[in-house]
Amino acid sequence: MKVEWLRFPLHVIVRPFDGFWDMKYEKKGKGLVALLILVLLIVAVIIQKQFSGFLVNFNDPRYLNSIDEFKYILLPFILWCLGNWSVTTLLDGEGRLKEIMITTAYALTPLVLVYYPTTLVSNFITNEESSFFYLLNSFAGLWFIWLLFVGMMTVHQYTATKTIVTMLLTIVVMAIIVFLGMLVFSLIQQIIGFIYSIYYELIFRN
Amino acid sequence: MRSRRMLIVLAAIVMLVSGAAPAYAASAPYESYNYNYWRDAVPSPEAYMPSRSITGETLGIGNFLEPSDMYAAANGNVYVLDRGNNRIVVMDSGWKLKNVIAGFDNNGKQDGFNKPEGMFVADDGTLYIADTENKRVVILHSDGQLAGIVEKPKSDILASNFEFVPLKLTVDRAKRVYVVTRGVFEGIVQFDSDGTFIGFVGTNKVQPNAADYAWRLYSTKAQRAKMVLFIPTEFSNVDIDSKGFVYATNIDPGSDTPVKRISPSGDDVLKRYGYFPVKGDIRYRQMGNDGGPSQLVDVKVREAGMYSVLDSFRSRIFTYDEEGNLLYEFGGKGNQLGTFKLPVAIEAIGERVAVLDQGRGRIVEFNPTAFGSAVNKAVALHNDGQDQAAVEVWQQVLKLNSNYDIAYIGIGKSYLMEKRNKEAMTYFKLGLDRKDYSVAYKRYRREVIKEHFGQTMTVILVIALASWAAWVVVRYRRRRRLISHEG
Repeated sequence: MKVEWLRFPLHVIVRPFDGFWDMKYEKKGKGLVALLILVLLIVAVIIQKQFSGFLVNFNDPRYLNSIDEFKYILLPFILWCLGNWSVTTLLDGEGRLKEIMITTAYALTPLVLVYYPTTLVSNFITNEESSFFYLLNSFAGLWFIWLLFVGMMTVHQYTATKTIVTMLLTIVVMAIIVFLGMLVFSLIQQIIGFIYSIYYELIFRN
Repeated sequence: MRSRRMLIVLAAIVMLVSGAAPAYAASAPYESYNYNYWRDAVPSPEAYMPSRSITGETLGIGNFLEPSDMYAAANGNVYVLDRGNNRIVVMDSGWKLKNVIAGFDNNGKQDGFNKPEGMFVADDGTLYIADTENKRVVILHSDGQLAGIVEKPKSDILASNFEFVPLKLTVDRAKRVYVVTRGVFEGIVQFDSDGTFIGFVGTNKVQPNAADYAWRLYSTKAQRAKMVLFIPTEFSNVDIDSKGFVYATNIDPGSDTPVKRISPSGDDVLKRYGYFPVKGDIRYRQMGNDGGPSQLVDVKVREAGMYSVLDSFRSRIFTYDEEGNLLYEFGGKGNQLGTFKLPVAIEAIGERVAVLDQGRGRIVEFNPTAFGSAVNKAVALHNDGQDQAAVEVWQQVLKLNSNYDIAYIGIGKSYLMEKRNKEAMTYFKLGLDRKDYSVAYKRYRREVIKEHFGQTMTVILVIALASWAAWVVVRYRRRRRLISHEG
């Protein structure tokens, strides 16, 4: 892993149009870096939930579960990429699945950059200053959405309106995927239950 | 096998020994709990234990028949309003019968009560009885002589078909009478000392939810006429504190404010600084046999600003402090001593609590346990401003119940006052009190910075100088590289 690879996301987040263009056509985005960003984000959220200051930490320590964060970050990430890919393939998008994944991951960089220091600082603030904590965190969130928007536009070579429409459609598709997934699971459950009851019927009949 | 036999022997010994212990140490027929910060009902030691029950039979005057109200007066007497027998039973604070008031002399004519629902006794012993079916309020001197009768009020603001059916009442120091009346939604009816109607105080507000509102919007006039009206609920009971503020309860399933403290100008001024609303149970099943919010039918203002409310639905007694923190809960539905069929009234006699069970026609007396009286004592000390003395009592409470958030916060507040900020922070954190923690932390932080001002400034200066130097070096190198590239 070269230093340049690591420096590139920092370039992307301040010069998104330029950066995402380079990512797509100069092949500067790396899958490994995308993975690193994701892992760092998951760790950041875990640390934030566990170690942010008492005044801003409203989590019930009895129910904190680090494995859950994978569920809340990795799963939506994969769903988003799959959903987006499914929609844009039908709507003349130029992005490939790998490009979509790297773009989305790179767009998450501001969250990683902001969460660590705010978590640290939150241990030294009072109630009145806690609004800065929330302000910075929501600022990072907005920054992420802006980057995602620009990234999607560049990757698929869309107009602004089409990007917004496809992004909204992606959310709908995500819901459909979740629905189908649950359907499959419950069907499998039913089948297993059916086989089980047949099995019991047989053994109790001698 | 052998260990098992040992266990049996051990169990037998334990049973024998515990059998010798006083009955007082027996477990209560209910399970006490308190709500923690996350609204879980956490088991708690019992604050009050049932000690005895009093029926009409034990007093030797025949059983109570659907008694409706009870009042413990300042002179030590306890009055029970025996609705079914249309009489008032007077006892002393040791539950010894004093006398029975079955009627009074009304201008030479013998008069009595007809299904009276509510009663109040002033400090001088004057009795106020809501004589419900006779549609009047009867005022008797302490010796049973008639002092006055308040009849249906006459006023321009009352509708012509207004019916005066008094249910519950209370009286302030200026002898103004506050009457909860059946079928009146405008609030509590207020009379002055000579029985003239003054007006209404305290109204329950109606808050239709969005669904109701939308439903009404899209229904025809005929449909709307058939719908349930959005009228405010009536109050279920009243009490008065030493400052003359009326405490009132109402049974409104959707309300988060079923307990109100009504100021003389009619505003609700109850303090609700606790983690959750003052409404009895906050965690309950929505549906089913035992589902739904608490139905508060009585409120009793106790010493040190505490007040107890009685939930007739699940037969529980909730006690709050002046700031609206739930202190303890006890009681329950059932057949044993300490559980009720249909509790209707609660009174406090000193530190003891008495509950009138209408369904079973008896009074149940509760005595505080070590835990309960420690809490009462600490609250009283805190209310008195003696926070430092309260700390010791709170520590005692914590020994009996280490889940008691209010104790942690109480200790923290005292430490905060003594400027022991670091310790205060620890206790506020244990009590999950973020607001006070912030105050303590702010002071602590200032203290630390002040103490280490020299070091802090040195560190900051060194960091600033170092980064400036680094920047200069980097710029110098870069420029040199550029020059060498060009050259």
